[in-house]
Amino acid sequence: MMAERVIRGRIDRGGILVSGDAPLLRLQQRAGGGEGRPLALPNLARLVALAQRLQREISRPLIAADDHSDIHALVRILPDAEGATLEISDWRTRPVMQSQIPPVTEVAAVSPRAWMWESDVQLRLIALTAGAEADAVPAEWEGRSLSELFELQPDADGHFAVLRALARQARFAGQLVRTDDGKGGRMAMTLAAEPLFDATGGFTGFRGTVLPDDAPPPAPAPAALTDPAFGSLPLSDPAFGRRIDGALRGPLARIIATAETISGQFDGPIRADYARYAGDIAHAGRHLLGLVDDLADLQNIERPGFKAARDEIDLGDLARRAVGLLGMKAEEKGIRIDAPPLDDKMPATGEFRRVLQVLLNLLGNAIRYSPEDSMIWIRLDRDGDRATVTVADQGQGIDAAQQAVVFEKFERLGRTDSGGSGLGLYIARRLARAMDGDLTVDSAPGQGARFTLSLPARDA
Amino acid sequence: MAETPLFSQLASVNPALSARLQESTAFLAAPAATRLSEEQRALILGIARRLVESVAGLLGGAVDSLALWDDWAAQGLPGAAQLSGLCFARAEEHRWRGQPVQDVGEAPPPRVIAADAAIDVPVAADDPLSAIDRAYLALQIADRRRFDALGHPRIAMEDMDLDLLRALLLDIAAWALVQAGKDSAEAARLGEAVRGALAQHRPERGIDRAAADYHAALAGVGAGALADGAAAAIARHDWPSFIALAAATHKYRYDAMALALITAEPAQLAPMLAPLLRDQAALVPLEGSLAMLPGRAVASAAPDDYTAALQARAALFGEAEGAA
Repeated sequence: MMAERVIRGRIDRGGILVSGDAPLLRLQQRAGGGEGRPLALPNLARLVALAQRLQREISRPLIAADDHSDIHALVRILPDAEGATLEISDWRTRPVMQSQIPPVTEVAAVSPRAWMWESDVQLRLIALTAGAEADAVPAEWEGRSLSELFELQPDADGHFAVLRALARQARFAGQLVRTDDGKGGRMAMTLAAEPLFDATGGFTGFRGTVLPDDAPPPAPAPAALTDPAFGSLPLSDPAFGRRIDGALRGPLARIIATAETISGQFDGPIRADYARYAGDIAHAGRHLLGLVDDLADLQNIERPGFKAARDEIDLGDLARRAVGLLGMKAEEKGIRIDAPPLDDKMPATGEFRRVLQVLLNLLGNAIRYSPEDSMIWIRLDRDGDRATVTVADQGQGIDAAQQAVVFEKFERLGRTDSGGSGLGLYIARRLARAMDGDLTVDSAPGQGARFTLSLPARDA
Repeated sequence: MAETPLFSQLASVNPALSARLQESTAFLAAPAATRLSEEQRALILGIARRLVESVAGLLGGAVDSLALWDDWAAQGLPGAAQLSGLCFARAEEHRWRGQPVQDVGEAPPPRVIAADAAIDVPVAADDPLSAIDRAYLALQIADRRRFDALGHPRIAMEDMDLDLLRALLLDIAAWALVQAGKDSAEAARLGEAVRGALAQHRPERGIDRAAADYHAALAGVGAGALADGAAAAIARHDWPSFIALAAATHKYRYDAMALALITAEPAQLAPMLAPLLRDQAALVPLEGSLAMLPGRAVASAAPDDYTAALQARAALFGEAEGAA
């Protein structure tokens, strides 16, 4: 049981730490200060100054960091005529190197075909859910042992990764298992998970994924793993890409959320230029997150055997959905979108969400590069056995030389703003071709651009 | 002051204006109150969307939940007043539980085991559970149903109040019927689907029943075990277990108890939890964790001051009238 201990300190009117209990003095020293010197902890110093200025007691959460740990505490500042007294309680130290437990979202980003699972200390399942494109999970899984539901297979050395991880309370991957496929047979899958710990450091179980092993076998290794676009980064290695994806998504989401909180001044007013900087940080963070999404997509569509589903779709309906999703963005620039009317249908074959993704990319680009108060048209057409949807804008247009490279990876036509990653059109064309369609551009400088997505037409 | 009829007329044909006017009314009713942050709005909306999708899914997959949500997002959710409390409570609990754990510094270093050490395969059947462990396991399972596959918070169908579930099913069925052109065969099918979904409702698998069972299992051992279990849950930052025990102690719903804790002033926690905890020192991590949560809807000192001011004014006027 934790007993509350209060750590005290005394600050004079000039902001000098004149005395303090040992933990506070140690923190002050690690931050480059010392006893008899100005308080070297910026967050705390700011709170002290505020309390002195207001001549009011202030109680706030405090987060401080030294070279090897983060410190979370509650601080109470009692100002008086001679300075202020600090009372710090609920002092908790967290090593900076402590590995972060990934939220399920980061793990699940690996594959929509995965099942997500969580177990307790005894490897009894307390959660098992199917990803968006995964098979249904087995019935009656609740509370069953992991090894009961999944028949564990030893590796080449006769070891079981999950059991060694359980003994070590550490992460594991590549545990081969077999389980019922729900059709009377058995299927091979692979387990991976991270250990979970509670606030007292106690191990509470695992959280991870189960992936079916029916993915196509890996292609023979190319002569060199380096990609001309990515340089020497091993992004062609799917495992590396997944790790980068998982590792970046969480921190970026936190940076964006925090920067937006500061920018929106939700916790109180700050200087306008600081709020603007925070807005810039959030914008840059969103750009980076978009790039991570694009890279994840890129990796997915470039793997051998990638196939898109053949849904029966209506290009008119999808175009209207895209307009609904981006209409507000267009309104912000005073751009009007002339969308196909409700009764305008264009039956086609393609994967619903992938076609929507392509249309969102085309419409997003059109909005981004169109002048204010301009117009964007979306037209549906049928050309023999092809159904087409065209997005036309009044932007500056693309000359013939640029049209030749606009669908290349990382091609941004010389633009240096933070609007896009240069992967969107490359991905869009790859998707279109994976659906037996194509994506083309028709444009001239000063006359806007017309991007046309064509797909196999379907008779309604 | 009478409301301008023109405003009402304009708002009746303009959902955006209607929403703004309602927001203005709510703002003027409490100008000093803090508002929802963008994170809170996003969480509430996400929870509501997943709830609508889940309930639509109960109707046999014939409902286009994407189109349904588009429509409702534009026009407003039917029963928004009933859903808002549910979604807000779940969102606030999720924010609280999503805070980084602050003191895992005491986590032991990774264990070292010999390469050839024998490791047993844990098999649940070999290890019969005690009543407490069984109840705790059921509580964890019920809690994890309150997340989707991506770890996003949601309302589990098992936790839905039957009346609210019925109302939502009927609203969705009505929407689907309009989409289908009021076809009488479709109406009969939807009616049957609603009845089937309600018949399948399993509140005994929900978090409230699991909370009550866990509480009963600990209380069966003795009041000391209950208090120790609650204190240990606080120390571990195992908030779902702690909320469950507190809820069962007060005979509250789980979500109501979570909201009561999140919105409590520090001074209110000790009396609120006195029936459950023996040692007030156990509250320190709870107070610390709640204090770290930004944007809580905590009743500040202002209402009390205002009440006191109103009483003082009444007393003053009373005296003045008396003097007159």
